[in-house]
Amino acid sequence: MELFLQQLINGLSLGGIYALIALGYTMVYGIIELINFAHGDVYTLGTFFSLAILTLLGVSGVVTGPALIAIVLVTIVGAMILCGLTGVIIERLAYRRLRNAPKLAPLITAIGMSFILENLMLYWKGPSPVPFPDLLPKVQFGVGAVTIQAKQVMVILLAVVLMIVLQNFVQNTRLGKAMRATAQDKDAAQLMGIDINTTIALTFLIGSALAGAAGFVSGVYYGSTWFFNGFAAGLKAFTAAVLGGIGNLAGAMLGGFLIGLIEAMTTQFIGDQWANVLVFSILVLVLIFRPSGLLGEALPNKV
Amino acid sequence: MPLPPLMRIVLAAVLTAALAACGGGSSSSSSSGDSGGTIKIGVDLPVSGADASIGVPTQNGVVLAVEEANKNGFAGGKFKLEASLLDDAVQGKHDPAAGAQNVKTFIADSAVLAMVGPFNSNVAKSEIPLSNDAGLAQISPSNTNDGLTIGDDAKKLRTAHPDVNTYFRVCTRDAKQGAALAQTAAQRLKFKKVFVIDDNETYGKGLADVFDASFRQLGGTVLGHEHITANQVDFKALLTKVKSLNPDAVFFGGNTSTGGGLIRRQMADVGMGSIAMLGGDGIGDDEFEKQAGDAANGSYMTIAAPDASKLPSAKDFIAAYKARFNGDVGPYSANAYTAAKIEIAAIEKAIKDNGGKMPTRADVLKNIAATTDFESPIGKVGFDAAGDTTSPVLSLDEVKGGKRVVIDVITLKS
Repeated sequence: MELFLQQLINGLSLGGIYALIALGYTMVYGIIELINFAHGDVYTLGTFFSLAILTLLGVSGVVTGPALIAIVLVTIVGAMILCGLTGVIIERLAYRRLRNAPKLAPLITAIGMSFILENLMLYWKGPSPVPFPDLLPKVQFGVGAVTIQAKQVMVILLAVVLMIVLQNFVQNTRLGKAMRATAQDKDAAQLMGIDINTTIALTFLIGSALAGAAGFVSGVYYGSTWFFNGFAAGLKAFTAAVLGGIGNLAGAMLGGFLIGLIEAMTTQFIGDQWANVLVFSILVLVLIFRPSGLLGEALPNKV
Repeated sequence: MPLPPLMRIVLAAVLTAALAACGGGSSSSSSSGDSGGTIKIGVDLPVSGADASIGVPTQNGVVLAVEEANKNGFAGGKFKLEASLLDDAVQGKHDPAAGAQNVKTFIADSAVLAMVGPFNSNVAKSEIPLSNDAGLAQISPSNTNDGLTIGDDAKKLRTAHPDVNTYFRVCTRDAKQGAALAQTAAQRLKFKKVFVIDDNETYGKGLADVFDASFRQLGGTVLGHEHITANQVDFKALLTKVKSLNPDAVFFGGNTSTGGGLIRRQMADVGMGSIAMLGGDGIGDDEFEKQAGDAANGSYMTIAAPDASKLPSAKDFIAAYKARFNGDVGPYSANAYTAAKIEIAAIEKAIKDNGGKMPTRADVLKNIAATTDFESPIGKVGFDAAGDTTSPVLSLDEVKGGKRVVIDVITLKS
């Protein structure tokens, strides 16, 4: 039983990272019906940006006390801003002109964009995995026989908090309303005086910023990053978005945590090598039997 | 009926890709003058990415041998010797397809008479059929998988010319490395219960299977044997499971680049920092210490090479290496240097037998296969009929204080 709980924590931590990445996939799909294949690489870029900021701050090991909170905030906000801007630039350069082109064109462009980002990172930090400073103190909370690390608390907490903030933003602000309107019907929204270019750019900004946050978290959680990580993580997060219902914010969150849990539990009860098999089998089954995902593409909730 | 524009684009892209895939081997073949000209040794190793920390010092060994040969009047000064250096790492990892492409490049270049490489066993699997077909001799400094020289697996790689062997290695095989590791675990380190993990690659799985069987034979308990997947970064779930079984050590069959370093680091994360990790030569690189960070200490690994720094025969080589590359020798530098030296000697003999003219690849292969008691930095080297070394040696290393140090040298029965 305690092993089950321990794996639950492992799965939720992994799932939190997937969930944050999945939100970006889902938001962009909701508003322009594009699977942004470069998104996984924006997340990896987030780990690189975080590392660069930490290096600038001169952090190389464990930090404690108020300094830790300051450093975490500065790094995460910095990574979010930089990734958000990257997302806006990508949309402006690569996707905006193709908005009315056949569906296949932006999709291929997105794959091309993914290669460009990967190779930029390859050029920047080289092809080896890059170590990440162990910034959090090695504090563990023992609940019975189950140990939860400070890192894991941070991952899960951050994912949930960002999700709640995002949900509130989309539901209760003017800009959020504009996003939902654009997602429902671009032409009608434009006739109502909504600037859809700005709205779509904003969607990319927020989605990519969340990927930046995920990047910081994963760097701290795994203690290393690699320019090619975005490929596997992006695939899993995309699966999470589809599982929850592509275009649905709560669904992306649910899907992310579920995929993380499936992976951890498969490893525990069947075997590590079956984790991916199971995750992607579930993707296939969902696409066949419930293409709209677990929560479906509920229109009022759509970004 | 004309194709729709989209189809035309797709078709063009496919054709371009196909052309690019075929056109890799368009290297200029130098004039094979009857007497005089350039002779090349092909070198195929992973020299970028996670494998670079071990690949580059290995490549340097060959470069040094070639430079020395030219300085000492290679083949009476008639020919110039060149090393044709190619990289088989793609996106930072050794890649069988890239290795095969490189061998095709060597085969297409008539000046290449022999090659050194590859570094990794799965790459060797894709290369041996090609070198066997073309009759190009290759000597690997570091492949340890049994199936490359022994049994049915080896036969399957030599379908073009079943009776000809073009593949040799100066290091020992995994049957011996895995058994030596099992002995080290059971008898030297007194481990009773071990959990085995491998990366599901040719080398990693092969070594882990041998270790698994040998450790049981010695009376040890294998708590479980799991395979990880390519590009996996999260091992916390797997290691949580391993921890719950209370092992004395974790055995990892694979490379640093296929998960070894990350697994060691995450062992500390799940509270197994004080548990030993055991592995083969795949984690015997500096990259392992870099990736595992503080957690690297208490890891043991074998290297399929003698500890060159302790051998009197290697003193000159180490001095020359340091002077030339301004750094320390890698675990496989001496092996690669020896492989290149054997090929150079074989080429020189072939030139002499051919009256000072450009020899054929077949002549060079014949001379390499006949190698016995070749004096080298790693001792006397010879090859048996299968292409395996007749003097197998292993070093046992331990990571202490963040650095890999040799704690023992194991001489095996050939």
